[in-house]
Amino acid sequence: MESVWGVGGLVLLRDSVEWEGRSLLKAFVKKSALCGEQVHILGCEVSEDEFREGFDSSINSRLVYHDLFRDPFNWSQAGGALPGGPLGALRALCKRTEPGPVTIALDSLSWLLLHLPCTTLCQALCALSQQHSPLGGSPPVEPVRVLGLLHMELHGPGPMGALSSLAQTEVTLSGTAGQALAHILCQRPRQHPTHQTQCFSILPDFSLDLQEGPTLESQPHPDPHIPPVEPTTHLTFNLHLSKKEREAKDSLTLPFQFSSEKQQALLRPGPSQATSNIFYEPDVYDDLDQEDPDDDLDV
Amino acid sequence: MAAAATCGTGAGNKGCTAAAAAAAGKNNVTSFQRKGPRASVPDSGCARLVSIAGTRPSVRNGQLLVSTGLPALDQLLGGGLAVGTVLLIEEDKYNIYSSLLFKYFLAEGVINGHTLLVASAKEDPADILQELPAPLLDDNCKKDFDEDVCNPKTPESNIKMKIAWRYQLLPKMEPGPVSSSRFGHYYDLSKRMPQELIEASKWHGFFFPEKLSPTLNIEPCSLTHGYIKLLQFIQNVIYEEGFDGSNPQKKQKNILRIGIQNLGSPLWGDDICCTENCDNSHSLTKFLYVLRGLLRTSLSACIITMPTHLIQNKAIIARVTNLSDTVVGLESFIGSERETNPLYKDYHGLIHIRQIPRLNNLIYDVSDVKDLAFKLKRKLFTIERLHLPPDLSDTVSRSSKQIPAASSRLLGPDCGVMAGGRKHLDF
Repeated sequence: MESVWGVGGLVLLRDSVEWEGRSLLKAFVKKSALCGEQVHILGCEVSEDEFREGFDSSINSRLVYHDLFRDPFNWSQAGGALPGGPLGALRALCKRTEPGPVTIALDSLSWLLLHLPCTTLCQALCALSQQHSPLGGSPPVEPVRVLGLLHMELHGPGPMGALSSLAQTEVTLSGTAGQALAHILCQRPRQHPTHQTQCFSILPDFSLDLQEGPTLESQPHPDPHIPPVEPTTHLTFNLHLSKKEREAKDSLTLPFQFSSEKQQALLRPGPSQATSNIFYEPDVYDDLDQEDPDDDLDV
Repeated sequence: MAAAATCGTGAGNKGCTAAAAAAAGKNNVTSFQRKGPRASVPDSGCARLVSIAGTRPSVRNGQLLVSTGLPALDQLLGGGLAVGTVLLIEEDKYNIYSSLLFKYFLAEGVINGHTLLVASAKEDPADILQELPAPLLDDNCKKDFDEDVCNPKTPESNIKMKIAWRYQLLPKMEPGPVSSSRFGHYYDLSKRMPQELIEASKWHGFFFPEKLSPTLNIEPCSLTHGYIKLLQFIQNVIYEEGFDGSNPQKKQKNILRIGIQNLGSPLWGDDICCTENCDNSHSLTKFLYVLRGLLRTSLSACIITMPTHLIQNKAIIARVTNLSDTVVGLESFIGSERETNPLYKDYHGLIHIRQIPRLNNLIYDVSDVKDLAFKLKRKLFTIERLHLPPDLSDTVSRSSKQIPAASSRLLGPDCGVMAGGRKHLDF
């Protein structure tokens, strides 16, 4: 989970009906509040009281809650509603100017996707998670962490793919037999994405308990009924050499290698090479008549 | 291309009339005279065009080519990218390798002194330019190449050759890149381009979130707002800097390299990645059509990276491919089942050359190698032919093959039960 905390940017918490993610979102919110960061919450799906339930008063005093649940369309004309609707609220969050690390929790991104066009939401999220100070030069980027809760079953592959391409970290919740698992896919800008699986559980006071549960291999094992093949087993020729054979091979003089012994042997005129002889054995069909066969041609 | 021809004939006419007037006054034998000291050109492909740095005419059809920054890719595309065309890169899933190709293209422009136009909706163009790779120059290139080549060598090859001993006299490796007069350059990914080179280059940046006004009233138009702004920006740059020959360029002609990143993503305001039945599904195709018109009438080359794996409507991908000239698709193995497959362990992904243009030609210039894979070494990005070893497993027998063919795995679920079944089709 430290990888989630290390890099800023957009963190998608993808949950489903069986494994809900709001408690994990609240655990992250509590962790950043305890670290001293500023925490802004855009609440759309549950009421403020329900969200704040379970936090003690010190954390509750640190949370800045923007409530869109009570009056999303600003019908009551009361002062508590946020101007501009959801888009105005997001843009207002972009414009905050307090220095220091910030965590923004969006509860939930699914609600925002259903009420805003996907492209506008993507542009707003990009602007939110990539904030740098408007002053010139090369300012150190304040780490802005945007936690978005996304319900996987509500959306098709299009919006999910679009949001995944924007996110720096994706935490997908699943589990087996009562044990919650988080699959974390962390994508740093210039590096390869890393994938890890972590067992965890949330305690009643919303602290995160990481467990060393059974770590599932993220890569599939090779099929057990197909054994790895050794291609040299059934060959008709021998590819391996024993030690004696290898020594014999190394000491062999190759025919076209012009070594010094061969040079001496060629230069030294040996007794067998004084004359060049031709040895010929006449065949049965050979005509050994010494006469010139062309004599009777009158040419 | 058309731009070269119009510039050439325009200049030629002026020259001929001036020469004719001068000749008539001199009482020469003929009124036709040479235009004057003509700049020497490398070959007869573009007779009137003064040679521009970083370009060369194609040996096959005389098109003016620029390098894509990756000499291996240049070779696969038939020598380089033709001036006035679009190179579309279909991004891999996590946009790691396509951004590398994008940077190679821009770095090549910086080295050759071309003007750059960088457009992005996600990153600031100034940041993109800071991250360009450094060029590999003569003195330290051979060392780097040997280092890369020697590492995977097995110990046996270091023994002196006994049978083919004449080959030991040959040099091991071609000497790498040389000065900027060469066509394609090599780059070192572990180092950044020196700041003075970036500052010496001329570039224009288009960062879409800056141009997006917060209270925009979107007129019902067929092109999304982002695309209109980008087209206007490109048109302004081409017109003002004289790449289309409209303003007579007093200095030497130059090439404009346009780089557009992540075109079609929701950050540009286009929703083809979000829904299947989008409102303005023709926005991207119209943009490409207008862009190609702008490019054909100017001395520019464009690279576009597009996240086609996110586009929901597959018909749009086919239209986009038709509207682009050269299309290269990257498929990385990260996260897929092929990552652990021992057959692909040497490579990082596959590269598909999906389309090569026929410019003033009747035939394609396709290389015969269709299985290409790429590998990102520590400093270099290499493209190699994919060699798959023969399938010698026990189950390769006609009677009992349990493994379904790879093609049947690729078929979607709506292609019938028979094709997707476990039994291999026996012919």
